[in-house]
Amino acid sequence: MDAIAQVVLAGLIMGGVYALIALGLNLIYGTMRLLNVAHGELIMFGAFAAYWMYTINQLSPLFSLLLVAVGSALFGIFIFFCLFNPLLKRSQSQDMMAANSLLIFFALSIIMQNIAVFFWGANLRSYTYMSKVIHLAGVPVTANRLLSFAIGVVLCLGCYLLIQKTLVGKAIRAVIQDRECCKLMGINVNKIYIISFAISFAMAGVAGVLLSMYYVFSPFMGLPYTVIAFIVVILGGMGNVGGSLLAGFILGLVSSVGTALTSPGLESVISYLIFILVVLFKPKGIFGKGF
Amino acid sequence: MHMQAYVKPVAIALIMLSLLLVPQFATTYTTSVILNILMWIGLVTSWLILAGFTGYISLGHGAFLGIGAYFVASYWQILPFPILILLSGLICVFVAAVVGYPVLRVKGPYFVILTLGLSEFVKYSLVYYEVNIRGTVGRILLRTPSLENLYYWVLVICLLSIATAYLIKRSRFGLALMSIKDDEDAAEALGVNAALAKWKAFAISAFFPGMIGAVMAMRWTYIDPYTVFNPMMSFQVTITAFLGGIAYVHGPIIGATMLTLLSQSLWARYPNFYMIALGVILIFIVMFLPQGLAGLLSKINVPGFIKDVFKNVSSPERRKEL
Repeated sequence: MDAIAQVVLAGLIMGGVYALIALGLNLIYGTMRLLNVAHGELIMFGAFAAYWMYTINQLSPLFSLLLVAVGSALFGIFIFFCLFNPLLKRSQSQDMMAANSLLIFFALSIIMQNIAVFFWGANLRSYTYMSKVIHLAGVPVTANRLLSFAIGVVLCLGCYLLIQKTLVGKAIRAVIQDRECCKLMGINVNKIYIISFAISFAMAGVAGVLLSMYYVFSPFMGLPYTVIAFIVVILGGMGNVGGSLLAGFILGLVSSVGTALTSPGLESVISYLIFILVVLFKPKGIFGKGF
Repeated sequence: MHMQAYVKPVAIALIMLSLLLVPQFATTYTTSVILNILMWIGLVTSWLILAGFTGYISLGHGAFLGIGAYFVASYWQILPFPILILLSGLICVFVAAVVGYPVLRVKGPYFVILTLGLSEFVKYSLVYYEVNIRGTVGRILLRTPSLENLYYWVLVICLLSIATAYLIKRSRFGLALMSIKDDEDAAEALGVNAALAKWKAFAISAFFPGMIGAVMAMRWTYIDPYTVFNPMMSFQVTITAFLGGIAYVHGPIIGATMLTLLSQSLWARYPNFYMIALGVILIFIVMFLPQGLAGLLSKINVPGFIKDVFKNVSSPERRKEL
């Protein structure tokens, strides 16, 4: 019984981070129909930023969280203006824009990964922060995991409420539904793009900080997280923000249970297998449209 | 007029002859650099058979290289080398044919990330197999053929892939593929069997990386899943293709030569700089040179004889003529 509870709890905690990662990825896909394959590298940069601030300046990750969020958001806005704005203006068709932006994101991920290797080396890193073990209804769990789970859930819900309840959120939802129509209705679509980039990049950076509190990380951690984010986004439905939230927790549970039942060596194999099956058979997601 | 008709065949014959003589006269280092260039030309050209003609950008092309390398490593010294090379190619065609049937229904960005996912899936499955079932990390290949021998094999495969791409480009089949790139639905409405055409192109494009993987495994003499299924191989194929210009058959030749020379000068001492440079080059091409270097070459005024070599081989204008 305890073992089951432990696996489920681990799955939920993982799911919280997955949801956060996927939400950010889905925001850019939903509003602009672009797939950010550099999403994992943003997470990696967030993790390294938290690591350096903690080991050099003794800054608590809870504080560096804010700095990383602001820094990542600014980076997102910078990237948007330098690369995507000119591309948007020049591209004649959506297909061309999608292909070009995919290449740009690929380039960014290669550049970021190699900058990290060049400056910080290729080895695995970690630090200890709030690693006290707490017993939650008899199940042992470290405090940093619980804390990161709580922050992740709060941020996910905050983002969900922002999108569902505010005027900006309404505009974002409208752009997700039909961009061309939004332009005609007087919505500043470009502004929505910028907001999506900022929120998406910030969430990836924050996810990196949260992961760094209890996971080892390296410059090569990006791709697996990008793939996980893709799985969650596709499961929940591309452009379906609420769906990503739920799908994040589902994937966290499934991979936690799946790994517990088979062997840790199969973790990557299982997650890629889920990915392939989902793209092939459920490319529209498992929840349908009205979520 | 008369002179011009001879320029192209003569130039091509001269290039061929010098390529044939490389191992005899050049140093080992030069030979291995040219061998690398030929390898990339073969990889990129075969990638273009699907991606360049139909617009289906695959990030899993490197997986075929890995499958070829692993196949040859498993049967080395059991079967003769030429048969191994051929079988490696055929096995990749078979894999592509099986995988391609469901995968090619997926379109656009989904297809791109799906191919990446598939190649990573193969990689991690092999890692699991090597570590947990065979109890090894990789394979060491002993008594491999000489550099000269491998050079000629890669040269043959590379020329075959260029010839294949060229013939497809000039055929009805090529037109069908290019119509898929322009508008798949319209092509189908006009009677093109898009599913079949894509399927064939995918299978053909898998033949060459399989054979190249078989030869290159002999060159590397040690292989493990992480190196032969490195997604960077597939990324580099894509970047090389875009650098050269994906609408041109001679694009890969320009792109592969540039990038291999760049990698020779940077890779050994600053591998990360090389990768960063690749990323920057890719951004630069997308932003400023969407037609690639071959596109640039066709626009600027180059001396007549150089232009004649490349002219009409493969320019997009040619498509309108056909």
